[in-house]
Amino acid sequence: MTAVRDGDVERLGLLFERYKRQLYGFFYGMNRSQELSDDLVQNTFFRILKYRHLFRGEGDFRTWMFHIARNVSHDHYRKDKLKWKESVDDWQDRLGHEENREGEMQSTEKNVMLAMAMDRLPQDKKEILLLSKYQEKKYKEIGEILGCSEGAVKVKVFRALQELKVIYQQLEKTM
Amino acid sequence: MEQNKIEELVAKYNEGLTDPSEVQALEQLIEEGKVDLTQLRSLDRLDEQLIAIESPATSLAMDDKFYAMLSKEKKKAAASSFNFTMPSWSWLAPRLAFSVALVVIGFGAGYMLNTKSADPNVELLTQQVADLKESIALSLFEKESATDRLKAVSLTTEMDQVSKKVTEALFQTLNNDPNVNVRLAALEAITPYSKDGSVREQLIRSIGKQESPLVQVALAELMGGLQEKKSVTEFDKILKDERTPLDVKNRIKESIKVLI
Repeated sequence: MTAVRDGDVERLGLLFERYKRQLYGFFYGMNRSQELSDDLVQNTFFRILKYRHLFRGEGDFRTWMFHIARNVSHDHYRKDKLKWKESVDDWQDRLGHEENREGEMQSTEKNVMLAMAMDRLPQDKKEILLLSKYQEKKYKEIGEILGCSEGAVKVKVFRALQELKVIYQQLEKTM
Repeated sequence: MEQNKIEELVAKYNEGLTDPSEVQALEQLIEEGKVDLTQLRSLDRLDEQLIAIESPATSLAMDDKFYAMLSKEKKKAAASSFNFTMPSWSWLAPRLAFSVALVVIGFGAGYMLNTKSADPNVELLTQQVADLKESIALSLFEKESATDRLKAVSLTTEMDQVSKKVTEALFQTLNNDPNVNVRLAALEAITPYSKDGSVREQLIRSIGKQESPLVQVALAELMGGLQEKKSVTEFDKILKDERTPLDVKNRIKESIKVLI
């Protein structure tokens, strides 16, 4: 990224190839829309390019990238006030769409149920679990993204997992 | 809190028997780093299950949009830097080294041609020139600029024989280079060595790694030409992939028709 910052913008292609799937997974986990996730990945890299001079090179690129991704996601929801319905029917509808079928049909029933439980979590809790997944549980780095301590991040993950577990168990009973 | 009390609390949590005040105490211990999240079994299982869910595949349209944006930005950057400024040493040094190396190669080759029968050290000199070419090519493969990497591929085509290192670098480029032109050039450079069994095997493995229709078609044509039947399974996967454009499917089918 330091090379990109210093003017070699072509090198951003390497970073895109390396991180596009994680970034896409993060957005897709937040909104479950392929088209929207495509756009948000694009917006994130657009901002990375636009604000490349602000990259200080002290932390790693992925942390900085997720910091920007989080802002992109928040801006999007603020602008569109988009709320996803959280019913089992909606989920089944979405699984029926061509664009989702390929990935989701291969998932086990448990994974689908877990994804449904994730959808029912409040945005902040969903976000912390996705950051934990895509930042590979590096809680210190997640703390840098969220502006809090490593310990506080662990507590947030704990609370989010607890709530996820409760929702998951409720879903298990209803299905 | 003492260690044994902490362990008791964790055990109680794992049994699902903690009350809200104990959960609060547990949170405190997690924050202080005295309890690790992995110790909380049911939550850890859930977390691992979440991590194991594979991320959905990204679309080619997303790639296209990104590279269009990048290309626009590069043009903009090139236009804004049109005014002449003294190049930095880090920019100049590799280019200067490359030019000097080419001059040395030129002199070396000229010297060899003129003194081939007379000089007993010709073989040694030839080897030195070949080594120099190889090290230049290998260093150019590492460059960020696609033009430099194309130069590297082009240098390998001038070599009489390529080492294992160069073959590996060419395959690395064919499988991972972000620029499709560089990947195509690498494939062209590898083609003369495709009679070798291990090179063929690597080429077959490479089919599944390609997402660009241009490279997929080029590989299909090559495999058709080589009559390599083992490649059919890999091409079948591409043909079954819904993302593969119809035109590409037709061209691949046409190329591998002779193999089926």
